[in-house]
Amino acid sequence: MTTDGTTPAGDESEASVAELVDTFENTIWPSIDRVLAGVDVRPERGVLDLIVHVPRADVVRALRMLKQGDELQFNYLRSLTAVDNEADGVDVVYHLYSIPKNINVTVKVTLPADDKVLETATTVWQAANWLERETAEMFGIRFTGHPDPRTLLMPEDMTDVFPLLKSHPFAEIELLQGELLGHERGAGGDE
Amino acid sequence: MVTETAPEFETQDLLINVGPQHPSTHGVFRMVLEVDGEVVKELVPHIGYLHRGAEKLCENNDFRQGVGYMDRTEYLAAHNAELSYVMAVEALAELEVPARAQWIRMILCELNRLSSHFMFFGAFGVDVGVFGTPFVYAWRERETLIDLFEEISGDRMMYAYFRAGGLAWEVPANFKERVHEVLKSSRQGVKDFDGLLTENEIFIARTKNVGIISAEDAIEIGMSGSSLRASGVNLDIRKTEPYLFYDQVEFDVPLGENGDVFDRYYVRLQEMEQSMRIIEQCLERLEDGPIMPEKMPRMLRLPEGQEVYIRTEAPRGEYGVYLVSKGGNKPWRLKVRSACLSNLQALRQMSVGQYVADAIIILGSIDIVLSEVDR
Repeated sequence: MTTDGTTPAGDESEASVAELVDTFENTIWPSIDRVLAGVDVRPERGVLDLIVHVPRADVVRALRMLKQGDELQFNYLRSLTAVDNEADGVDVVYHLYSIPKNINVTVKVTLPADDKVLETATTVWQAANWLERETAEMFGIRFTGHPDPRTLLMPEDMTDVFPLLKSHPFAEIELLQGELLGHERGAGGDE
Repeated sequence: MVTETAPEFETQDLLINVGPQHPSTHGVFRMVLEVDGEVVKELVPHIGYLHRGAEKLCENNDFRQGVGYMDRTEYLAAHNAELSYVMAVEALAELEVPARAQWIRMILCELNRLSSHFMFFGAFGVDVGVFGTPFVYAWRERETLIDLFEEISGDRMMYAYFRAGGLAWEVPANFKERVHEVLKSSRQGVKDFDGLLTENEIFIARTKNVGIISAEDAIEIGMSGSSLRASGVNLDIRKTEPYLFYDQVEFDVPLGENGDVFDRYYVRLQEMEQSMRIIEQCLERLEDGPIMPEKMPRMLRLPEGQEVYIRTEAPRGEYGVYLVSKGGNKPWRLKVRSACLSNLQALRQMSVGQYVADAIIILGSIDIVLSEVDR
């Protein structure tokens, strides 16, 4: 993967973001910062793609700004999912791709663990429909304004069980498997 | 004597339930059709029958074991599924993969594309109503490919042959000759299909201008792979964001024009020619050498607080793996971006307004694997 994170050709960074450009050289951050003017965003360097943290209240507005406008044109939603960080809340992660410009960006928004409500992105991309349904049932997130808030993979009546939360237990057989391997989660065991 | 007909008839829409167990659904998939006569007015897909929590299972197993679960998501193109996963682990572990391993991976992934597309032709022929001939032709060709995979990995479908860092073991000594042999028969197989279906009048009547989706809609819905390119969108990750050595080989990306069922069939047929072109170039470049990095830790541990989203061009579209590490020897979060799930979202839009019989071939033309949809 070569083209990721490089500045689109002929893109000159503005003086107002000069300090940030220093730390995010050769990334698409200057363009993102310009397109998302007025939104309180924070960049982070990822292994492949630039990660942009967006406040919860502005997420759909920011996504729409990234999609529209000629500069970036993030017209393709690659993936939408969430990560449970236990006490640090749940991150909802959007992987966006711009077909015309061939650039990627990851947008992240953090929800507190006790208030997992977020505005739906289906108004920006239709692709978000099923992806949000899956994320909702797996992590207990409520996407407000979703046109079809049914379960997707889970049974219709299992709306109070959220399997991908870290607090959700493994089945007994899986725990047994883990014990037989002789290591705890994350701790690891040598031989 | 003329009898007067009643001024108004009352009509009623009929609900038809297709699946979950039905030969035309290619797995365990259910769709509820609301029909007015022969025309589909509404289509509601139901999925999840094969959900087995592969992502959660991966979070409970170490990086080496995850390869096996990837095989079982996309079992018709398991090499491609493994590839995304091991590339994600390699990206976070900063492993340098030897060139020989990369070339062999490329050959196997393209061979897997051939076997997967053959499977599509066989099943699709049955959907369209040509029972027998294409099905048996496809199985004959696919069998030669699967025999080769078995010789290499020991398994016909769940290969578990790729490792983070390289490959599990060397390929057999006669690997090059065997691939050439298989290519020869596959090339004939593609020709046979071309002759059997592409210009067949009945086949064209069934598939042309059926289940059309425009390029804008396909992008909006998040379709990928051959199904997206059939609508004329030039998006092939092997070209746009080359991985392995795809930037060092020559190949074309076939595109459709109308985005109908025929185009989705024909793009796949042309893609197979290109896959064979790629494999031949790979075989020329393949040289002896190591297949695993020299300094390979016995237990892989990834750095804390890192994440990566790897996408590769699998036969059915973009197979993505989103891997989040918080240290240790297991993924904190592993998400599989299923190409089929996103492609399947377009089914309703393609089918509404079409005939019931066409809804079946539209589903067939997306080429879904339900175990990848549900994971």
